[in-house]
Amino acid sequence: MDFIAEGFVQAFRLLVSLDPETFSAILATLKVSSYSMAASLIVGVPLGFLLGYARFKGRKQIRLIVDTLLSLPTVFVGLVVYAFLSNRGPFGEWGLLFTLPGIAIGQAILALPIVIALTATAVESIDDHLRLTLISLGAGRKQLFLTSLWEVRYGVLAAAVTAYGRVMTEVGISMMVGGNIKWHTRTITTAIALETNKGLFGMGVALGLVLLFIAFFVNVSVSFLRKR
Amino acid sequence: MTAKNFIYQIKNLKHAYNGRPILDIADFSVERAGIVGLMGPNGSGKSTLLRFLGFIEKPAEGEIRYNGKIEYPFSNAVKSHVALLPQTPYLMKRSVSKNIAYGLVINKKLSDRRIRERVHEALDMVGLDVKAFAGRQWSELSGGEAQRAALAARLALKPDVLLLDEPTASVDAASIQRIKDASIQARHEWGTTIIIASHDRQWLLDICDQAVHLFNGRIFDSAYENILFGPWYPENNGRWKKKTADLQSIIVSRPPHSSAAAVLDPRRVSLHPLSRPVRTDHHCMTGLISQLTLEKNNNNVLVSVQIGNLYLTACASDSPADSPLLFPGQNIKLSYHPDSVHWI
Amino acid sequence: MMKIGKTLAICVLIITLSALSALCETDVLMMATTTSTDNTGLLDYLAPEFKKDTGIELRWTAAGTGKALKLGENCDVDVLTVHAPGAEKTFVEAGYGVDRREIMYNDFVIIGPKSDPADLKGKSVSDALTAIQKKEALFVSRGDNSGTNKKEIILWKEAGLRVPEKEKWYIQTGQGMLSTINIAAERNGYTMTDRGTYIKYEFNSGGNPPLAILVEGDDSLKNQYSVIAVNPGHCSGAEYETAKRFIDWITGSKAQDLIRNFKLLGKPLFIPNAE
Repeated sequence: MDFIAEGFVQAFRLLVSLDPETFSAILATLKVSSYSMAASLIVGVPLGFLLGYARFKGRKQIRLIVDTLLSLPTVFVGLVVYAFLSNRGPFGEWGLLFTLPGIAIGQAILALPIVIALTATAVESIDDHLRLTLISLGAGRKQLFLTSLWEVRYGVLAAAVTAYGRVMTEVGISMMVGGNIKWHTRTITTAIALETNKGLFGMGVALGLVLLFIAFFVNVSVSFLRKR
Repeated sequence: MTAKNFIYQIKNLKHAYNGRPILDIADFSVERAGIVGLMGPNGSGKSTLLRFLGFIEKPAEGEIRYNGKIEYPFSNAVKSHVALLPQTPYLMKRSVSKNIAYGLVINKKLSDRRIRERVHEALDMVGLDVKAFAGRQWSELSGGEAQRAALAARLALKPDVLLLDEPTASVDAASIQRIKDASIQARHEWGTTIIIASHDRQWLLDICDQAVHLFNGRIFDSAYENILFGPWYPENNGRWKKKTADLQSIIVSRPPHSSAAAVLDPRRVSLHPLSRPVRTDHHCMTGLISQLTLEKNNNNVLVSVQIGNLYLTACASDSPADSPLLFPGQNIKLSYHPDSVHWI
Repeated sequence: MMKIGKTLAICVLIITLSALSALCETDVLMMATTTSTDNTGLLDYLAPEFKKDTGIELRWTAAGTGKALKLGENCDVDVLTVHAPGAEKTFVEAGYGVDRREIMYNDFVIIGPKSDPADLKGKSVSDALTAIQKKEALFVSRGDNSGTNKKEIILWKEAGLRVPEKEKWYIQTGQGMLSTINIAAERNGYTMTDRGTYIKYEFNSGGNPPLAILVEGDDSLKNQYSVIAVNPGHCSGAEYETAKRFIDWITGSKAQDLIRNFKLLGKPLFIPNAE
């Protein structure tokens, strides 16, 4: 059990001493999660909005599929993305295997169902009254769309935070697609896996705490954003 | 009266939802700057009609002319000129003043200063103190305040038409008065045409130039018509009957089906002092006069009589000869011929 | 709403730029390697020297030999450092790899609790494994198709024993060598490891580990590491020239000396033997 206490001390030491390996992993984690979040939000928010907003045939079935995809195992996503990005895979020539953008693709796939499902739920919850109100105040179709989107901003924010949590903490995709390459694709989670593999449990705990610190700061800034 | 004086003309409007007819209006017009009351039980189509008049939705069949032209949702002629206040107010997740300014910001090319002035005027009209409310967030209002803020958002547009869907249904007494006053003021200051759906019969009869009754999606021109709802049970003399809450019988002619509704013209209902006998072919009931109303257009006195849970209206001036002295709270006998009802 | 638009635009820009910059990097050698070379820190020690001498940046992903060979077969890396001679030969014969060169070796050891319940100390490998199976003493296996795992299976067979699979006393971790040693320590069981990883483990536990070396020095315990270039005829995109330079460098006298001097607790982890 003493490695947990050791982990706390070490986490502090790593952060204060600006340990280059740790900061390289932090930077890689932040970069890759930013890419994947940007991609999944750009694609997922409009899709989630449509899914919650529009009434079309097969909507319920699509909703069911999206909800099922919420349980995508990360290792499975990693494996599939690896198969596509491998040099013998269909997109091998893009050279994305063992790169951060490659991991980001996998993580975006992981985050996409979360963003879509939670955005759709948020949009569904605003129901007919908003639409009625906006049209009765003279909103055109474009304003109707934009204002509705703005109205669900907290729902979208919640979707983003949830997806961010999943993306930041996953290890299967980063390991499989990124390869845990030191100074390049080693993220905090793959570093934890490595340190644990090496039997350095204290270091693993320390890195886990670092990840929690980052999550804490993300959530603090989000709640600040909400207050404004 | 020429067509030009009508702001709305509806022809052959038909609308159904999931195969169930909601509205069926052959011909209905609304005068410019008039106040029209819509009465009728829940589910009679009032809200749907207001949505069509507000060009929120388009009916399945028929045409709605606005200022003589057929218009559709999102057309420029109706955008921000026709404002609907829905039954459940919705405030966007922003401050009260931003909610009220929304319609002005997106459609009217006004300076920020003019917008602020309009917002303040509108808050004044609905009796919300500018200092206290303008900066509040949407979540910091009571139900009545939210309804008034929602009305202010419509008033800020200075609309040509204001459609109010049960604006006083679920708000406190102070808010009810403010909402009523603000609506009248809009008509008075800007000549706004106002159409109100409400269960507040007295209010509608007081302020409306025209009041209509909606039942099962159809319009009955006078709001004063008595509508008698089933279910009806057959009697052995070919009549059908239903009991009131105080166990008197309502007797009618044979209905088309047992849950049909019947219309009874107030002119066919006569009033008698309790002591006087009633014609044997008439059906007679006793009740309490709840209210006397002067009908605006023709000086008829309308008498509302409460019989258990039922209100029946009789028109007093049709029978001046044997008209008793009438005052609210008085017990009175009323009678009608069962064959004088017609089925709808 | 303008703000959101701007933020999105900036994000797209960043993504595009970083994707481009990833494409622009040159002179990078991608290697798949076994966990032992990575876990012991040998590659962290060699890579900067390699860069200094050749200007080539060595990047590696650490996996069991099974996965490393698969990554080579799929053309996802340029060069391999592995330690399963049998599988390596098959790999080369199948046309996936060329220029296989032996670079160094260490040896495998069987370690176990100091109390040594199955009484392995001083026995030959075959006798030790027979004793384990006979006494049903707890044995922790990698079970991950790695070089070490492949070697262990060969040793069971060479001892004339059935390879255990579902036996209660036989645990397959599916994890790396150090994790497996840790599990063996937790469960008070025996396991087989390469000496380098054991020294690292000894080092991690402050020089006084609960598990000790019980069987060593047998010829059949030799653990040979080799490098293999991915066959450019099979993988058109493979950086064969760069891989060749790495192979020449690591089998050269300078790198061989570096390997000889790589020590933990004063003990060498690998013995260079490039010819």
